[in-house]
Amino acid sequence: MSFVSNATGAFYERSLGQLSELRGSLEGLQNQISTGVRISRGSEDPAAASRLRTLARTERLSEVQADNADKLARDLEEASDSVSAVANLLSRARELAILAANDPTGANGRAAIAEELSQLEEELFDRANARTLTGEPQFAGTAAGPAFIRAADGTVSYNGNTDLATVSIAPGTALERGITGDQIFQFDVNGTPSSAFAVLSNLSAALQPGTTDPAAAARAAIDGLDAAIESSTRSQTVIGTRLAWVEVVQDNQTDRALTVAEQQSELGDTDLGEAVARLQQTLAALEASQLSFTRVANLTLFSALR
Amino acid sequence: MPGPLFQIARTGAAATRASLEVVAQNIANASNPDYSRRTLELRELVGVTPGRRGVLNGVRIEGIGRASTEIVQQQARSSAAELARAEAELTGLRDTELALEQSNLFEGLVEFEAVLTQLEGNPLEPVLRTNALESARQLAGTIQFANTTLDTARGQVQEAATVSLDEANLQIEELARINRNISNARSGTVGEAALLDARDAALRILSQQIGIIASFDDRGRVNVRLDDASGGPGALLVDGFTTSASNSTTNADGTLSFDVGGVAVDPARGAIAGQAAALDAQADFQTQLDDIAAQVIARSNAAQASGADQDGNAGQPLFAGTDASTITLALISGRQLATALLGSPAGSTNTTNLASFAASIGADDGPIATTDTLLLSLSSRISAQDVTRTGLAAIAQNAEATLLTETGVDLDTEAANLVRLQQAFEANSRVLQVATEIFDTLLAIR
Repeated sequence: MSFVSNATGAFYERSLGQLSELRGSLEGLQNQISTGVRISRGSEDPAAASRLRTLARTERLSEVQADNADKLARDLEEASDSVSAVANLLSRARELAILAANDPTGANGRAAIAEELSQLEEELFDRANARTLTGEPQFAGTAAGPAFIRAADGTVSYNGNTDLATVSIAPGTALERGITGDQIFQFDVNGTPSSAFAVLSNLSAALQPGTTDPAAAARAAIDGLDAAIESSTRSQTVIGTRLAWVEVVQDNQTDRALTVAEQQSELGDTDLGEAVARLQQTLAALEASQLSFTRVANLTLFSALR
Repeated sequence: MPGPLFQIARTGAAATRASLEVVAQNIANASNPDYSRRTLELRELVGVTPGRRGVLNGVRIEGIGRASTEIVQQQARSSAAELARAEAELTGLRDTELALEQSNLFEGLVEFEAVLTQLEGNPLEPVLRTNALESARQLAGTIQFANTTLDTARGQVQEAATVSLDEANLQIEELARINRNISNARSGTVGEAALLDARDAALRILSQQIGIIASFDDRGRVNVRLDDASGGPGALLVDGFTTSASNSTTNADGTLSFDVGGVAVDPARGAIAGQAAALDAQADFQTQLDDIAAQVIARSNAAQASGADQDGNAGQPLFAGTDASTITLALISGRQLATALLGSPAGSTNTTNLASFAASIGADDGPIATTDTLLLSLSSRISAQDVTRTGLAAIAQNAEATLLTETGVDLDTEAANLVRLQQAFEANSRVLQVATEIFDTLLAIR
């Protein structure tokens, strides 16, 4: 006799398999909801996991680059303050030079002016050797020592280098730190190299009592002072432009961080609405399966036999 | 004479009672997965005397029949072996994924890159320099940790393979013993049916450990060959009463080689095949992890060599070692990080060298990208394997259900049989009663 039977064991095995599958997916959904994380292992969604890794790296680098940008902005602001102080100082020197060039200013007056000019030159020297909050010279490029040194004979020379290291402040954006001292304080006057220090100390020397025609010397010095003022103003503009650039980059970085966070959430976070809806759906399916299982399991001939 | 009538009714009642016993046995074993449905084989009993009309003698019990179907069983076995392979491989790969993801290798590399980038902002700051150095130390530790966890994962798979192999060898011995017992058992007896059940159970367990091809002789004794990946006829594991044990050898890279009685084999199915595949994958990932470690060491040391440290000296190697198990931090102070270009004076704030160092770590062919590729290929492989496993599980479940349909117990059928046999028993009793009445009628004649 050949017949097709529906083995009781097969029925139970099948039902058990279906029920445990439903239970498994319920647990997965419950886990997603309670942790808020959609992907707990890379293998659950390899592509999204890789994307999340890249985003996490971007996020971490952005944090650091934002720090760098803040630091750079602070340094540039300090440098800007220093350079504008230098510009004010040089303007004052120019006023004094015009005063000294006026014939009514007598020898005593010129001596006072010479005294003030040499004070100004001292202050200029100090300004040029200013240090940042973290202790590095502000205008020496990447060199460690003071930016300007004064020789025994009183002449001041540039001691730094022309190397301006860059700082990474955004992906693919590295900005130069500040500006070197030679660009601010050294310039050509009528084709001859000179420096703000030289102009001030020469003028101061020319106004000492006993020199011949101090007024003419003062008039001649105005050209040099104009060049010095122009140089410092130019430097201020350069620093200002850089500062503006840093701000633009910082703004971009803030937007970027938002986008990154958004994408991270989109890829890695549980969509609560969807997860809860699917949980409900699976729950309903599980309940229905359990109910139909008990009904069918009770449908045995034995329960009909008395 | 009512003599034959008594005989017929007696054999009928006995056969029916024996049938009822078989039904009861079937019901009792309804949830025993290794039990194959039994039937009672009956034959009409007729006494034939030459030259005369035959005598009806009732029914005779021929023997115990046992539902079995070799093709379906072979299908169930091979799909279960395929599933066991996929599951064993998946388990090994998951352990590997856990090892490489939980060690936070990727995060360690990103942190190192970030700390180097941060140092660019303020290259002479001692806190940042120390931070960068400690991050390098942590990175070396992380790589070593990943190496150790991968090693542990490998150990677990090897352990599982040993257990599988021991189990397989146990079942091989068992099958030879069963073959011997079948030879001694009488055909059609309860004992023979029980032995055949035991044989199928042993084959089922064996094929889950190591894929096999079984062939049976007329008595049901089994010869077992290994299902070899080369496609040719596999090594004989059970040949009648003799057995050949399977052995494994661990290679230097942690992978396993197998042999049966000294002859190299390559199991195609079963847990052992999956474990071997997982070990191959782990050896592959070990190589990649070593590559990443070597990249970190080479790039860091090259960057150091092309720069000057805070005191203006040429940079010294940052890491010592050659691979993931040996990588260690070589520098002792943050001052020794070569941030400036080679030839820069002491205290230089130049960060050109540092910038190219950070860029070489984060480059598209650098260790971060390689680690991402490694993790992506591992998780993609697991994901694909999981899909395969789900498919194989459905096939195996289907084959198992088909097998149960052929050989399992259907309680409804048994219930119907119960009713039918009860009626048959009553009918036989009635025949006995009729014979008695006829006998009594004859005796009552005076």
